[in-house]
Amino acid sequence: MSRRVLLHVGTPKTGTSYLQDVLYKNRGRLLKQDVSYPADRFDAHFLAALDLMRLRWGGLEAQAVGAWDKLSAEVRAHEGTSIISHEILASASRSQVARALASLGHRPGGDTSDGGTEVHLFLSVRDLVRQIPAEWQENVKHRARFGYGRFLELIHDPERAHRVGAWFWGVQEIPDILDRWGADLPPERVHLVTVPPSGGSPDLLWERFSAAFELGELDLKLTTQRANPSLGVPESALIRRINRVAARDLPPQHYRPLVRELLAHRTLSKRTKSARLGLPPDQYPWVNELTESWIAELSRRGYDVVGDLADLRGAPAPTGKWVDPDHPPERQVAAAAVDAIKALLLDNAEAHAENERLRRKLEVARRELVRARTPRLMRSMEWTVHKLEHSGKGRQALEVYRKARNRTPG
Amino acid sequence: MSRRRAWGWVAALRAGSTTPWLEWPADGTAGEGEALGDELPGAQQLALLRRLNLYAAAAGRTVPAAIADRVLGAGVSGRGRSELALVGVDEPGPAGQLGASGQFGPRPVDPDALTDDELLRVASALVADDVAVAAAVPDPEPGLLERVRSVRRPWVRSFVVVGMPWRADAVRADLTARGHRPGGRRPTAYLLADDLETVLVQAWAARCFDQGGATWRGFVRANAGAGNLPPRADVARMARSAAYKYGVERVRVVLDDQLLAEELGVPRLGAPPRLGAHAVDLVRRVGEPLGLLVPSEDRPRLLRETLGERLEGLGGPPPSLPPRWDGWLRTQAERTRHDLAAARYPVLGDLDQLLPRPLGSEQSGPVVPVDAEVLALALGLLLDPVTTRGSAKPKEEA
Repeated sequence: MSRRVLLHVGTPKTGTSYLQDVLYKNRGRLLKQDVSYPADRFDAHFLAALDLMRLRWGGLEAQAVGAWDKLSAEVRAHEGTSIISHEILASASRSQVARALASLGHRPGGDTSDGGTEVHLFLSVRDLVRQIPAEWQENVKHRARFGYGRFLELIHDPERAHRVGAWFWGVQEIPDILDRWGADLPPERVHLVTVPPSGGSPDLLWERFSAAFELGELDLKLTTQRANPSLGVPESALIRRINRVAARDLPPQHYRPLVRELLAHRTLSKRTKSARLGLPPDQYPWVNELTESWIAELSRRGYDVVGDLADLRGAPAPTGKWVDPDHPPERQVAAAAVDAIKALLLDNAEAHAENERLRRKLEVARRELVRARTPRLMRSMEWTVHKLEHSGKGRQALEVYRKARNRTPG
Repeated sequence: MSRRRAWGWVAALRAGSTTPWLEWPADGTAGEGEALGDELPGAQQLALLRRLNLYAAAAGRTVPAAIADRVLGAGVSGRGRSELALVGVDEPGPAGQLGASGQFGPRPVDPDALTDDELLRVASALVADDVAVAAAVPDPEPGLLERVRSVRRPWVRSFVVVGMPWRADAVRADLTARGHRPGGRRPTAYLLADDLETVLVQAWAARCFDQGGATWRGFVRANAGAGNLPPRADVARMARSAAYKYGVERVRVVLDDQLLAEELGVPRLGAPPRLGAHAVDLVRRVGEPLGLLVPSEDRPRLLRETLGERLEGLGGPPPSLPPRWDGWLRTQAERTRHDLAAARYPVLGDLDQLLPRPLGSEQSGPVVPVDAEVLALALGLLLDPVTTRGSAKPKEEA
């Protein structure tokens, strides 16, 4: 039975990918130091979360059958500390949470006196001022066709009747996530890691993660790059327009590498001079009011906070003009579109070249196959004819032979 | 106090009550009960159990306690709201307990106000569990007679059956069982086709069994809106593919099943299960959570062997296209007819059969899956689960 499980359940857009990347690439080193990050592929915990929550995810769920049971069995089999991390776990329902904790060896109330696992819950959190636009952008990068205004309407619906609103608050409403995940844990085993405000030291968030997960003392290689694939206003608008006309025709296995990876992450995210996506000015009052209620509630609960709950307040509304992604500057969208076309052309050219290379390779393989299937006598005859045709006397001899057989070359 | 009232309602529902939550006694101890667990079941589960009690009562039956407990302990599948709290229940837990503050999370609801779609998220997850259990039941060994009958007769001509996947699968299976196993050297490819609306309906049914995904409306809109036929309904493309694989001179378009049966020397061709619009939609919904319980390659077979058999003849008429797509349908049908005629494939039947059939005078409007009807079928499957093969087939609700 594992002694301790560090269970990181969200939230999205809080540097979770970087943390998971470091943990995955260092899992061998971690294990030598008695810390297990049980994953045989980089998305193992994502698949386990899909399995636990029985979520469909563009066909990926087919690879998730039994993934949570496998993960929890690996955790139970490890005697030291185990780490589990995926941000979509934040949306788990109470019954799914109960199943997850029980499968990790958790006992009611977190009792460890008779061998129960000491589960520590981690939630990394960021202010809504940044999370709301980031979530819409994430939707757009997952084939969404609705505009920013519609997204704001959906998350404003108090009934949360639409799946978009239900999902948003399921992974972003911090007190509710902790109600579901932390209700049966002592508060000192619930750890909140706040994402620092923009403009600070780029290492600060990692330092907070490192302190919370007690990674600072461990020998880790931090060689991976911190990706920041956020899009600006015209770039987000462009992807949304592409979704409107092409997403239905592009199956997920093609959408993912072409639109999400090639266009959004590798091409359009490099356009950093365009207007950044932000919260509309008229949304600040309710966001601020909600944030204050969260801070008050979280302070009252007495969780371990790594960072500062004040980070949740976010930056004040900017004084400059807000750029609406539903009515973007068309010249900038056109410029982004040209960059996108260039990227697609280059990618297509590369694919053509690769096709040509493979075609040639296939042709060679086909010839070799024909040769391998041709009887030895036939090959000897072909070799003899080939040799004879390359010398004068040989050609004469062949001519005599062909006349004798009444055959002509060709 | 209101939590004791809620637990009283839960206990009553377990015992078969059909009283709505808002009509449950609010005063005194008449409606109160002891907690049956750490957490109250979600409003979706409670609403589903009440609907199941109503369904059972209408059939003169009661819901067994084990089934009631399954419903109360079920999860909610797919995206959307997770378990919802009951309106009118004080949320704070025992003193000092963290969480359950009631101030955050989705608003508590009246279970009766939940949509059928919301209840189907719970019901389809439960049915999927049953289908997955059926996966563990080994296939019965074929008897001697069946084995003898399925041996390929040496004198049977070489042939393959292609075309509409939903029907072709059933025809192949039936022919195999009769000893007419498709295959052989240089086979004739019989391409099954029908009027385009039927082809589309069967393409959607095949997709629901194989992958799930789009609703009937979404399926039609995605293809008609883009001006294309889905691959499983593009008969002309299937014919080209068969011509490429088997040779153009060996492709025959089949628009009359009886002619093909005569040509193959069998009395009749097999047919796929006849599922109505609501039944196919239920299969689509169940396939989604089932995808996380069994390997994807097993899912279509499991669904056919369980829900395909149990829902045969149920679920109303097949879906039909909304009138706004009539023009698109006719254009696509004429294009298909033209392509097949131009390629000069021999035809068993009449190529005009490909064209849309005229609307019958009794047809009052397009048939689309309706959540209430789909839920009624799901309730039948909850009351008589598909966990055992050959279990009693529920009668369709009026």
